[in-house]
Amino acid sequence: MEIKYNEVYYTYRENTKLEKIALNDVTLNIKQGKINGIIGTIGSGKTTFLELMDALLLPTMGTIQLGEHKIEHQKKLKNDVRFEIGYVFGNPKEQFFLPTVKKEIAFALKQFSYKLNKIDKQISDALKMVGLDDSYLERNPLELSNGEMRKVAIASVLAFNPKILIFDEPTIGLDSISKNSFLKMLKLLKNRYHKTIIIVTHDINMIHKIADYLFVFHKGKMVLEGNKYEVFGNEQFEQYQLKKPTIMEFSDLVLKQKGIKLGYRDDVNDLIKDIYRHV
Amino acid sequence: MIEIEDLTYKYNSIDNNELFHELSLTLKKGSFTTLVGPIGCGKTTLIKILLGQIKIDDKIRIDRILVSEKNKEQIQKKIGFIPQYSDELHDISYTKYVQTIAQQLEIEYLLKADQQHLSSGEKQLLSFLNVLGNKPQIIILDEAFTLIDERKKKQIFNILTQLNQQGITILNFTNDLEESLYGNDIVLLQNGTIILNGPKEQILKEEKTIKKAGLELPFLADLSIRLMYYGVLDHMILDMDEMVNTIWK
Repeated sequence: MEIKYNEVYYTYRENTKLEKIALNDVTLNIKQGKINGIIGTIGSGKTTFLELMDALLLPTMGTIQLGEHKIEHQKKLKNDVRFEIGYVFGNPKEQFFLPTVKKEIAFALKQFSYKLNKIDKQISDALKMVGLDDSYLERNPLELSNGEMRKVAIASVLAFNPKILIFDEPTIGLDSISKNSFLKMLKLLKNRYHKTIIIVTHDINMIHKIADYLFVFHKGKMVLEGNKYEVFGNEQFEQYQLKKPTIMEFSDLVLKQKGIKLGYRDDVNDLIKDIYRHV
Repeated sequence: MIEIEDLTYKYNSIDNNELFHELSLTLKKGSFTTLVGPIGCGKTTLIKILLGQIKIDDKIRIDRILVSEKNKEQIQKKIGFIPQYSDELHDISYTKYVQTIAQQLEIEYLLKADQQHLSSGEKQLLSFLNVLGNKPQIIILDEAFTLIDERKKKQIFNILTQLNQQGITILNFTNDLEESLYGNDIVLLQNGTIILNGPKEQILKEEKTIKKAGLELPFLADLSIRLMYYGVLDHMILDMDEMVNTIWK
């Protein structure tokens, strides 16, 4: 499903003293069937960008094309658009409102009129995909640890099998085992199920590992896009006050201080070989 | 100073599994400790216990004062707590000191902002300013800067390091060992048990234990260990400039 932003603006509290332009003339095309990374500092408009996609907010100006659907100012959206989009909130607590994990995951599923006899299996399968077993079914989601809550939040979205998956800061509170299994899960969702994945994050090292395509936001504008080599290697990148992946920072420093070009490496093992060659 | 002595705790009375069994930990005044552990290791519960949100008798002292209902107010004055997600903050006093910090971080606009439309990351920043304004002697962080971009996070940790040098005790609960490079000591908690506790330079050498606990080594520690293996380095270096200048003397 195509996702196209066309000259989109969003202003909070329009025509008041507290007016704040959160999104300023954004035009872009999400890459279908790929992992799209959205990066930017705090207040750059990343989250507003996402909330518009799920029509949690409507644009002040401009249009967002979601397949056949068009999201625009003051236009009521048909609910079936939302069925195509799975939105995993940044703060899982914002997503939960039911007393058990099972009910929480079943909620969305029931809206999509799944056969009731299949619901239990769908729920178990979704939990399994995020690495949780059935012992979580009767637990209160709000009493889980931050990392577990996040997994349940992801499971509740995976359960209804949307075409587009949106993740707002998905790796917070995950330890590295959970983080790696999350990244593996993303690859599976992309490669086997051909999902379009959109991740908003400030976790540069994570997005560097996983994203096929990146969009950089700065002060409400989309200022840079491309694959990771094009984006992190761009001379303009520094001015958007973002950090490069640590492994690139290291190579940059070696080049700057010692005049040695180590090449662009994704992995520490390759970097070690390069260093060894140059000492 | 934070003293935990023989803490035993289970989630409920029916459950026989104890989360903590005779857990003891002392964090000296002026220490800067990173407490890490995988999901479900007991971090969240330990924070609640330290903050007095879960009642435990006679097991925890903060600056020699017993954490209890009676001493609640006294304890709360000492501790500044920054959670992962902050609710709206009321009555923040913007002292000159807070304004200076806000200026340093280039977030003065937050002091005047309408909190309803702040992002979670901006709320984390505001919560940080709020805590600093209260001048606590102990600062406890619970994945407090997870929504803040790396550059700003670095600035914040530099401010915390300065405060620490002035004698403020800092305890940072996190999943990200990369943050431990800012502190002095690391405590690794797994299944409610402390399995490593010591200065970061020593702890970060315990690659196997750390990985087994589901955590990732900081980039520079990882690189150090491998370069030591190849004989390029003879000790662990946790500063990037120093690393580059040691490899290529």
